[in-house]
Amino acid sequence: MIHLRDVSKQFDGKRKVTALERLDLDIARGEMVSIVGPSGSGKSTLLNLIGGLDRPTEGEIEIDGETLSTLSDDGLTRVRRDKIGFIFQFFNLLPTLSCLENVSLPLHLRGWPRKKIDERARELLQLVKLTARLDHLPDELSGGERQRVAIARALSIFPPILLADEPTGNLDTHTGAEILKLMHDLHDRLGATVLIVTHDHTVAESCPRTISLRDGHIVGDVRRQPISQEVSST
Amino acid sequence: MRLLWLISWPYARKHLLRWLLTTAGIILGVGVFVGMHTANQSVSAAFRETIDRVAGTTQLQVTAGEPGFEEEVLEKVQSLPEVRAAAPVIEATVSTDKGNLLILGVDMLGDRSLRTYDLEGSDEAIDDPLVFLAQADSLIVTRAFAEKNALTLNSKMPMRTMQGDLVFTVRGIMKPGGLASAFGGDLAIMDIYAAQKFFGRGRKFDRIDLALQENVTLAQGAAKLRALLGPGYEVDPPSSRGEQFEQTSRIYSLASNITSVFALFIGMFIIYNTFAIAVTQRRSEIGILRALGATRSQIRTLFLVESMIAGTFGSALGVLFGIGMARAMAGYIGGILTDVYGVAQRADGLDLDPLLLGGALVMGIVTSLFAAVIPARAAASVDPVKALQKGRNQALGEGESRMRRWAALACAVASVIALLLSRNTVIFYVGFVLSGITAVLLAPSLTLWLSRVLRPLLSWVRPVEGTLAADSLIQGPRRTSGTVAALMLSLALVIALGGLARSSYDSLSDWMRIALNPDLFVTTAQNLTARNFVFPASLGDGLRRIPGVAEVQLVRSVRVTVKGGPVMLVALDVASVERRAKLPPVEGDPIDMYRRTERGEAVLASENFVRLHGGRLGETLEIPAPGGTLRLPIAGIVRDFSDQQGSLLISRDAYMRAWHDDSVNVFRLYLARGAKEAEVRQRILDAFGKQQRLFVLTNKDVRDYVTRLTDQWFGLTYVQIAVAVLVAVLGIVNALTVSITDRRRELGVLQAVGGLRQQIRHTVWMEAAAIGFIGLTLGLLLGAVELYYAIEISRRDLVGIEIGYAYPFATALALAPVILGAAFLAALGPAESAVRGSLVEALEYE
Repeated sequence: MIHLRDVSKQFDGKRKVTALERLDLDIARGEMVSIVGPSGSGKSTLLNLIGGLDRPTEGEIEIDGETLSTLSDDGLTRVRRDKIGFIFQFFNLLPTLSCLENVSLPLHLRGWPRKKIDERARELLQLVKLTARLDHLPDELSGGERQRVAIARALSIFPPILLADEPTGNLDTHTGAEILKLMHDLHDRLGATVLIVTHDHTVAESCPRTISLRDGHIVGDVRRQPISQEVSST
Repeated sequence: MRLLWLISWPYARKHLLRWLLTTAGIILGVGVFVGMHTANQSVSAAFRETIDRVAGTTQLQVTAGEPGFEEEVLEKVQSLPEVRAAAPVIEATVSTDKGNLLILGVDMLGDRSLRTYDLEGSDEAIDDPLVFLAQADSLIVTRAFAEKNALTLNSKMPMRTMQGDLVFTVRGIMKPGGLASAFGGDLAIMDIYAAQKFFGRGRKFDRIDLALQENVTLAQGAAKLRALLGPGYEVDPPSSRGEQFEQTSRIYSLASNITSVFALFIGMFIIYNTFAIAVTQRRSEIGILRALGATRSQIRTLFLVESMIAGTFGSALGVLFGIGMARAMAGYIGGILTDVYGVAQRADGLDLDPLLLGGALVMGIVTSLFAAVIPARAAASVDPVKALQKGRNQALGEGESRMRRWAALACAVASVIALLLSRNTVIFYVGFVLSGITAVLLAPSLTLWLSRVLRPLLSWVRPVEGTLAADSLIQGPRRTSGTVAALMLSLALVIALGGLARSSYDSLSDWMRIALNPDLFVTTAQNLTARNFVFPASLGDGLRRIPGVAEVQLVRSVRVTVKGGPVMLVALDVASVERRAKLPPVEGDPIDMYRRTERGEAVLASENFVRLHGGRLGETLEIPAPGGTLRLPIAGIVRDFSDQQGSLLISRDAYMRAWHDDSVNVFRLYLARGAKEAEVRQRILDAFGKQQRLFVLTNKDVRDYVTRLTDQWFGLTYVQIAVAVLVAVLGIVNALTVSITDRRRELGVLQAVGGLRQQIRHTVWMEAAAIGFIGLTLGLLLGAVELYYAIEISRRDLVGIEIGYAYPFATALALAPVILGAAFLAALGPAESAVRGSLVEALEYE
C-alpha cells in the first residue's frame, strides 16, 4: 500500500538539515502502524511525505500504486483528496464552519451533490458520536470533540489511508484514550491503513506495528499483538 | 532605537510587500499633492515670469480692460510731470504654423527707455528705428524662436492677420535672456502701429507701460494717474496682472486642490489601515514585549517611529513622483487655462517651490504619524495577558462596534441639522464633513453586515471557496473595513464629480440649445475664448450682404472688473438676441428685462455672477469704463455659461458709448430658409477670407468646441477615477496579503484535505471580489449624498450655477467592472502566494 525507496529529505537554510536519510519502508494495506522517535527524528516529515504534503529530496514514494514524484502539485492534491485522510494534533478545523460544514469540506471539494454530502457528513458525525453538535462551531466544542470532528472529516471519503500526527497530543489522558479507542474501532470497521505519529508510548504500543526513528533513520520496526484498548485506557 | 532594530526591522523585512504598499499610499498622496500644486504653480509662475520679463523697467501699467483705449490717453499720461517715460503696448498671442507666438507691439522710438532689446550683430534696420517703423512687415524674434524654426535675418514668416494672410520679415534677432526669454522664448516684437492694423485694434492701445520720475513713489504716481484718467482706467504695477490671472483661474486651482487633498487623505487612510492591521497581527509580539517590561510609552513610540520612517521614505519618493507628474501635467493644465480663460499659457520648465516640496514632505510625515496615532495607542493599550492568549483579534468587539454606531448616529444627526441650517457657509461645510465621517464610522458595521448578506450567495456560487471567502470577511472586519472605507470614499468622490459633470453637461446642453443656436459663427480664431484679434463692425454689413444670410448679430466680449472681480461683459444686440435666442429668466420679468437692457437702461446678469459676486435683482452695478462709470441696475438674471466668473449682458450701443469701441469678437449668423450652411460658409470665406483673418464655424463646430472644453475641464474626474482604482488595487492587495497570512493555516488545511490550487485561488479571488463589491456598494450609496454636496458647493462657491441633481447611473455602471476588475487584478498576486507556499509550514502556522 505504501512503499518508500531510498527516500531522503533535506531542508535548505543557512545550514542544510537532513530530516530523513535513505529510508526504505513498506506498509501493507490495512496495517495500523505507529511511528515513534524523539523530537527532530523525522517522524512528522515522514508523515508529510507519505501524505503528499511535501516532496522528498531524493527517492521514490508509492501510494496505492501511484508514484508521487511523477505527479504535479494538483496531482498530489488529487491523491490526498481520493486516498488520504489527515488527523492533526491541533485539529485544524476551520473556525468559521460548523461541525457539519467542516466534515462536508472534502466532499464539496470533490464536487459531490449537496444532498449526498449532507447525508454522508451526518452519518460520520453519528459515527463519532457528535450528532448533537452538528451546527456547533469548533470554538464551542471541547478538545476531544474537536478531534472527533477532525476524525470524521478525515474519514469523509472513506480513504484507504489515514494519517494521524499526534492525534492525542493536545488532549488530556482520558480524552486521548477515547480518541485512540475510536481510531481503533474505525480501523477495525473500515479496514483503512492507519499511520500514527506519536510521542505517547501507550498510543504506540496499542498498534500492531511500531517504527522507531532516530536522526532520520529507521532504528526499529517492531510487530506485536495489539494491546486491548480496555487495557490501554486504564 | 534598539527596539526598532530588534523588533520593527525584522517585521518589516518579513512583510516587505505590505511595507511597500504602505509606502505606496504615502507616495500616491504626496505625489498627487506635489504634482498638482507644482503644475499649477509652474503655469502661474510662467505667466508671472512672462509679465516680469515683458515689463522690463515698467513700474506702472495703465489699462482699461480688454477693449483698450484711444491713442490720446498716451499723450495725457506723458504730459504728467511725475511720469519719466511712457510707452504704448499691444500684446497678443497668435497661433502660427510655428506654434503659439506672443507678439508685443511697441513703439520702437520710445520703448527702449523701458525695455532693453539686446540684438545680435548690428543691423541697419534696428539701428535706425525709423527704418524699422517704415517697414510694417518687420518682426524681431528671439534667438530661441529663430533657431527652433530655422529663421535668420530677412527670413520670411507668414501669419494670418486682420489684413489677411501676410508675410513678415525677420529684421532682428534678440539675444537670449531678459525680454527674449518671456513666454518660453516664443516672442516677437512688432511696431505698435503695425500691430494695431494687424490685430484689428483700430486706433487703440491695449495698455501703457510707464516709469516714474526718481523722486515719485508708486503710490503717488498711481494716485496722480487715476485722478487724471478717471474711473474707467486701472493703474497698477505689472505684478497685479499675475494676481488677476490667478483670480480668473481660481476655480481651476480650487478644483485641483480638492483632488490633491483628497489623494493625501486616501494615502492617510492606507497608512492607518496598514498600521491598524499590523497592531492586530503583532499583538502577541507586543504582549511578549510588555511581559518583558516594555512600557506603554515605548510601544507607542515604537509604532510612531515606524510610521515616521515609512512616512519620510514615502514622502521623499512622493515628492519625486510628484515632480515627474507635474512635468507631465503642466502642459495639459496650461492648455486648459488657455482654452477656458483665453489667456495664453505655457510652462516649459517647472517652478519647484522649496517651500511646497518641504511642506509636502513634512505633511506626508505628519499625515503618516497622524494616521498611526490611533493604531499606536491601540498597541500601547494591549493587555499583555490577553495578547499572549491565542484567539482571533481581527474581529471587532461588540462594545467598539456599538460605540462606532452611536458616534455615527450622532454625526448623522448633526449633519442633518447642519443641512437644515446650511445658509451659513461654515455650518454647511461642517455638515459636509460630518456626512463623510458618518460613512467612515459606519463602514466596519456595514462591511460586516454586507459580508453576511453575501455569504449565502457566495456559498451558492462555490460552496467551499465562497463560504470561506465570506467568512474571512466576517471574521476580519478590522482587516477589510479600512480598505472598504477608502474605496467607498474614493468612489463616492468619483460619483459626486461624475454626477456634477453629468448635471453640468445637461445644463450646458440646455443652454447651448437656446443661446448657441445661430447657424454660423464668424470668429477671429478657432478657439472661441481667444480675444487677441477683433473685427471692425463694418464687416457685419458685408456679412449681411452675403446671399443666404438672414440675420447677423454682433458680439463683443471683454473681461472687465466689476465688484472687485473679473467678469465677462458681453455686448450684443439685445433685441435680436431676445427674438432669436431668448434665455428664460431665473429671476426678473421676461419681457421687461430684455426691453430695459436693449434701451441701455439695465444689464442682464448671469446666475453665476449673482452667486459669486453677491448681486441681486434690481441692484445697481457700477461698471468702470473709459467713457465714465456705467451705473446700471440688474433687470434680470439668466442662466448663462459664457464665463466661469459670471457674465453681464449689455446692449451693444451702451457698450460702444462707454468704451468707445465698436469692434466685434464674433458675428452670429442666422441663415435664410433653404440656405445651405456649407455654401454660405464658402461664400463668406471667398468674400472675406483673403482680406482678413477670419474663421467660419458651424453650429456643430461651436457645440463640439464647448463640449470638448467641458471634457477637458472635467478631465480632473478621470484623475479621480485613476486614484480610486489605485486605491482599490493598493487597498485590496493590502487586505488580501494580510488575509492570506491570517488564513495561511486555513488555506493549508483546505489543500491538505483535497483543495486544488485553482480552488484556493477561487477563494482569494472571491474575497477580493467581495471587498470590491462592498466598497462599490457603499461608495455608490455615499456618492448619492456627496453628489448633493458637490452640486451645492459648485453652486455656492465654484461656478455659481444652479444645476439639477442627476445621479450618474452610467458612471456607476461603468465603475462596477473597473473596480471588480481592479479587485481581481489585486488578488492575482496574493492568490498565487497563497498556493505557492509550503503546505507543511502552513499547517504548522500559528
